[in-house]
Amino acid sequence: MKFVVNGRQHTSVASPLTTLLHVLREELGLVGAKAGCQHGSCGSCTVLIDGEPRRSCLTVVATLDGAEITTVEALGDPSHLSDVQVAFNEHYAAQCGFCTPGMLLAATALISRKGRPVEREEVVEALGGHYCRCTGYVRILDAVVAASRGERLGTMAPTALEIRGVEP
Amino acid sequence: MKAVGASLPRYDGVAHVTAASRFVDDFSLPGMLWAKALRSPVASARILRLDTARSATMPGVHAVITHSDVPNNVVGHQEVWGIAPDEPLLAEHEVRYVGQLIAVVAAETEAQALAAVQAIEVEFEERPAFFDMRKAWDSDQPHVTPDGNVYFYYPDQPQRQIRKGDVAAAFAEADVIVEGVYRPGAVEQAPAEPASALSVAEPNGRVTIHSTSQALYYSMDITARHLRMPIGQLKFVGGTVGGGFGGKIDTLTEPVTAVLALKARRPVKWRWTREEEMLCSSTRAAWHVEIADAVTRDGWILGRRTLTLHDAGAYMRTSAYACSKHTFHLAGAYSIPACAFNTFVVMTNHVPTAAMRGFGVTSASFAVETHMTRVAEVLGMDPWELRLKNANRVGDTSPSRVVYGNPSTVTTLLVAAEAAGVKLPPKQRAMTNAMREGALLPAHLVEQQRKPETHLLAWRDGRPALEGGS
Repeated sequence: MKFVVNGRQHTSVASPLTTLLHVLREELGLVGAKAGCQHGSCGSCTVLIDGEPRRSCLTVVATLDGAEITTVEALGDPSHLSDVQVAFNEHYAAQCGFCTPGMLLAATALISRKGRPVEREEVVEALGGHYCRCTGYVRILDAVVAASRGERLGTMAPTALEIRGVEP
Repeated sequence: MKAVGASLPRYDGVAHVTAASRFVDDFSLPGMLWAKALRSPVASARILRLDTARSATMPGVHAVITHSDVPNNVVGHQEVWGIAPDEPLLAEHEVRYVGQLIAVVAAETEAQALAAVQAIEVEFEERPAFFDMRKAWDSDQPHVTPDGNVYFYYPDQPQRQIRKGDVAAAFAEADVIVEGVYRPGAVEQAPAEPASALSVAEPNGRVTIHSTSQALYYSMDITARHLRMPIGQLKFVGGTVGGGFGGKIDTLTEPVTAVLALKARRPVKWRWTREEEMLCSSTRAAWHVEIADAVTRDGWILGRRTLTLHDAGAYMRTSAYACSKHTFHLAGAYSIPACAFNTFVVMTNHVPTAAMRGFGVTSASFAVETHMTRVAEVLGMDPWELRLKNANRVGDTSPSRVVYGNPSTVTTLLVAAEAAGVKLPPKQRAMTNAMREGALLPAHLVEQQRKPETHLLAWRDGRPALEGGS
């Protein structure tokens, strides 16, 4: 089975009914997608398949020939974070961090699909299948709305602390 | 104090949003094996036969462990507090709850491990199970432990039975006695990350364990007891926990993977399924709380009697501790001069219960606050007025006779009222936690009052410090 993962061609040697989650984590070493429930209920294994959020724990590689897969590892790195990553950090939307990769990808897909600032109700609809036990969701909604507006508060940079006179 | 109120970056914020944070399941090592467990399908049974011979020869299998592989199988989660060990890591001659661990396999893949678990031969003789803690003393009920269904022995922990003041006199003097029964149910903590561990038997005799524990040193102690190893032989790696909420204090995955890794001489990872997390991991306990208050028509609580039953499940874990904390809090945030509180750990054939957010206290608070509203209803009194009147003040004493130096009940009530949009009369809004006097110091409260104690302490560097009780 041949498909593209984060811009790179991959030929999977796994048997056709192996889950994409298993291939990502065990074959490719991309451990951003998490095995939270392994039956499609929690959303922590979410990746983008051809731009759409999908549960990698329920997706078997047999269905992926020619597909383009994006995982959280492709969203940005610490020196070049995406708007959604910045917003999740600035709004404290990631607490234990386990559900965060799936949330980030679902939020990224929503914002890209709408191509405009999104309403809170739209975020609730799009992220409704994602389970978070820590935050109470409010900060996640704040973060996705802010990201869709391209807002960056700049409050998380070490320099911002110096400006505010906070001793590290 | 520039940091107070400032939005500081989380130390792990960037790592979380780039998925660079490494949870236990994100680690893999060369030669690593996967663990799968045979668990009890029944709530109570004798194990008549357990045969792992066929399972051990299955493809990919490197080790199968039962109780006889564990150097010290029976350990208690509260041994440090003098509570006798009662829980086998792997079941011996009996099982006491659905999901109890019986044997665990380490194989090259999860699928191979699962197939080998299914090849273990086990024969049960099912027994009647005991589930209703209210029947703990009934002679016709099955016994969960050889000592019965109620756990009595509490070295150094007399708090779960509290006696303060003249309770009989309080109930004789009361205008009204208000009774209530409150039964908060069991709750699964349901962290996003299921319990996982990865153990490595190092060539130098040490064992490295990647753990999802919320209480790393506590889990090290339990693991060291099971392995009969000095604690210094263990290296625990933790820190990134995918939610715990109390459920990741109990220690099972670490010792099991360590025993497997020592037997197989390979790294062993065990990742519970969501089903195991929901059905077999510890929960917040169910509680049964009975309260009777001796009250006056004008809203003073003269005395309180309570009876609490705590559903510990099949083994003790940390239940005795939870009951002590629970009992401390049965007066709530209110001053009650006469108290008789009795709390009992009841053993049942439910899954063992453990911590969850405010261990033992939430059940007390739920019961006490619901009961306060009930008292107000019976008296036809405003529930805010009842609470403010009985609220702890400087110099009041707790059920265990701690003198309050700066209690926050009045402030908390006023802030809560404002947040709830409740307009309290100006006289109530002006209330503080100052020592009782005048109308707020009726005769029955005089004797329980003490002068708040202040202690002069010295820091190690010699600087003096004042400490007030509160």
